[in-house]
Amino acid sequence: MTANVSLQALSHNFGEFQALDDINLEFAAGEFVVLLGPSGCGKSTLLFILGGFLTPTEGQVWIGGQDMSRVAAKDRPTTTMFQDYALFPHMTLRDNVGFGLRMRGQGKAKRNAKADEMLDLVGLLDKAGRKPHELSGGQRQRVALARALAVEPEVLLLDEPLGALDLKLRRQMQEELKIIQRKVGTTFVHVTHDQEEAMAIADRIAVMNAGKVEHAGSPEEVYLRPKTLFSANFMGDLNILPEAQVGRAAGAGMVYAARPENIGLAGEISLGDARLTEASFFGTYHRCHFQSVEQGGQTYIAHLPIGALPQQGEALPLFASSPMTLKADV
Amino acid sequence: MTMEQQERRRSFSFAVPALIWTCAFFVVPFLVMLVLSLAHLEGRQIVQDYDLGNYVKIFTEPSLFKGIMVSLEITITVTILSVLLAWPLAWIIATQVPERYQRLAIMLAVLPFWTSYVVRSYAWALVLGQNGVLMQGLIAIGILDEPVQIMATRAATVIGFVHFFVMLLTLTIYSNLIQLSPNYARAAADLGASGWNTFRLVILPLTLPGIMTGAFLTFVLCIGDYITPQILGGNNELSMPQLIMLQLGRRGDFPMASALSVVLMVIVTLAYAASARWLKMERV
Amino acid sequence: MRTLGWLYMAAIFVFIFLPVVVLVLFSFQDSRLPVPPFDGPTLKWYAQVLADRGMMEALRNSLVVAVVSSAVALLLGFFAAQGLARVRLPGSALMRGLLIAPMTVSYLIIALGLLTVFNNLGFRPSLWATGIGHVVISLPLCFAILFAAMGDHQKNAERAARDLGASDLQVLFLVTAPMLKPALLAAFFLSVTFSWDEFIIAFLLTRFDVTLPVEIWSMLRSGLSPATNAIGSLVFLVSIVILILLELTVFRKSKT
Repeated sequence: MTANVSLQALSHNFGEFQALDDINLEFAAGEFVVLLGPSGCGKSTLLFILGGFLTPTEGQVWIGGQDMSRVAAKDRPTTTMFQDYALFPHMTLRDNVGFGLRMRGQGKAKRNAKADEMLDLVGLLDKAGRKPHELSGGQRQRVALARALAVEPEVLLLDEPLGALDLKLRRQMQEELKIIQRKVGTTFVHVTHDQEEAMAIADRIAVMNAGKVEHAGSPEEVYLRPKTLFSANFMGDLNILPEAQVGRAAGAGMVYAARPENIGLAGEISLGDARLTEASFFGTYHRCHFQSVEQGGQTYIAHLPIGALPQQGEALPLFASSPMTLKADV
Repeated sequence: MTMEQQERRRSFSFAVPALIWTCAFFVVPFLVMLVLSLAHLEGRQIVQDYDLGNYVKIFTEPSLFKGIMVSLEITITVTILSVLLAWPLAWIIATQVPERYQRLAIMLAVLPFWTSYVVRSYAWALVLGQNGVLMQGLIAIGILDEPVQIMATRAATVIGFVHFFVMLLTLTIYSNLIQLSPNYARAAADLGASGWNTFRLVILPLTLPGIMTGAFLTFVLCIGDYITPQILGGNNELSMPQLIMLQLGRRGDFPMASALSVVLMVIVTLAYAASARWLKMERV
Repeated sequence: MRTLGWLYMAAIFVFIFLPVVVLVLFSFQDSRLPVPPFDGPTLKWYAQVLADRGMMEALRNSLVVAVVSSAVALLLGFFAAQGLARVRLPGSALMRGLLIAPMTVSYLIIALGLLTVFNNLGFRPSLWATGIGHVVISLPLCFAILFAAMGDHQKNAERAARDLGASDLQVLFLVTAPMLKPALLAAFFLSVTFSWDEFIIAFLLTRFDVTLPVEIWSMLRSGLSPATNAIGSLVFLVSIVILILLELTVFRKSKT
């Protein structure tokens, strides 16, 4: 089961505070969408509106071609995987996963069969009779996923589900989430503040800031051709290039910028001489800090290939290639 | 001696004074009572012939056995009524009252805690009496033609107890409720549960620790209380604490009073065993 | 649904406050019976109670017993919690259980046990005997509150202090106690209220130097009187004032 999602002119206020400001987004059916942004940017509010836990102050939510803006959570074709998982501690895993089917009036044999099938999907069938407190964090996360998927939602909403896991487990779960999403085909809307996580799993990323969508597109677009300085910065390290070095004006309210991997010892734009102040080894590249010789306040971060590391304190000509033109923050 | 052993010894020495105090003034007196309950009163003398005579008497003599039943009936009624009244109140405060007024609402809900226990029972006597506020009020608005006898009946005892324990249970259930993630209710609704099913299958089971902790405390305090039944219930039917005081006061029958106390302790222990799996006494 | 909720809350609040309101209102009653119709207000019953020497002495006795027994219970409970929370001792669960056990036993039984033992020892009923009984009921309370408040956070700070050369007692009074200040205060004041309000132990274990609840009890035996309302209202007023002061000072601070 899968459906497309359309958010139209969505705004939400908490009292005086405007949490969401005129959001317009379209997600295709079966897409893995990531809402990415710093805490307080409104991404969780947006997810709660999608799930039916908040009624938007203005605007509409369409799911599968139907207006769901005023439909209660229990009647929506969405399910949510909560940040704290909200597994019912007094029920076994099987009863947790079968809960939604029980609410839909399915008999015990039928819903247990489905629950076992879902637990098998997430690799926990052998623990079906256990209670949630007997599981590790990663296992609970899988049960929450199984429970949300058991009712075959058209859209699955995931509220920072990997936030509580350690780094290694998080990377592993990201891959698993992606595989499961491909298998079930449901539209996933996943909220996170971790840009690496977003890049690893998303078909589409919507970068949010202060209640607005800064940029929505594929991971490549968002990383390589960001629209705004904010989203470019949020997706990774960034060097602001002085207009004088690029040789032409960027335009009103615009700036030039380049990623560290586009700064090097050769390229189309000369940045003048710069001195290496600090370097660290990252396995596949050297991460180097340079200070411009002519303009002392100007610094650059460059990723230099292995073996191309200059001497500490050495000054040498630095170049940039394929600069981005970005809308500056207001 | 290893470092760990030294540390343990030092640590244990800190706990010794409290342990001695508890043993000397709690465990030993109880053991003395246990022994004394096997003795008899003859005339005004305590005869140290140890047998189970007092216990046999408690369970065979109607006036004594009835005390156990009266106490159990009152206590169970009070516990159930208090839970039924307190749960909705705790829930309303935890979910309907705006967060910044919740502390105030809870403080108000337990404000009469801070009147003296004796005085509170006396105040109920004022309210429930023949010419008290309640009867006079009901007559004034035409619901009753003449006062109904509530004072000096079991109803008065139950009302006085329920008043106190509703406050207690509201506290334990409320503190349980606010510790629950709001996502439990959301998850249940999200998976299609109606309001009733969310309550019955998710929220109620999740508040069982709060309910059982409060209910156990209610049970213990209620079954062992002398003041409320004495002031409000009168002497028509005697609860166990009233019987114990009667043995002491009128006849100086310490052995029988001790035996009744032991029976009371056994009942409380059974109640504890029945509710133990939900209790977190150390966190009360 | 929402209105129904508010109505329910209002009804329960009426039930909860009814006796208190009646108590306070009829303490201002002019005639000799605290029942309707109300014919006050007058302050004469307050004047009578405050001039009653027996009552004032009982008040003083109650205060002394409450403060002293709570202080002893707090000290014992603090040491015990410290000892049992720091290291896992063999049988520590049993010791915890023993220390908490009096909480689950009727005060009547505790009083009866103490009375029996004191009688056998020839120790006369007195304020001291009552104080001992009140420590028995306050100790589990203090212990449980303090034990629950001692966390890993605490243990690491204590380890750091010992590492820097503090002795056991220095650790206890310079590090542990200040860190546990809210819990210590809560335990102390809760003990004070329990002791202050306790009837049956004081009733069985005192003879002449009675406490306030016992004095009020003997007043009740002579029937209903606005004077009882007056002393009840005074006790209530004092408790509320202390409660508000605590709320505004200690607990307001500890929350932030």
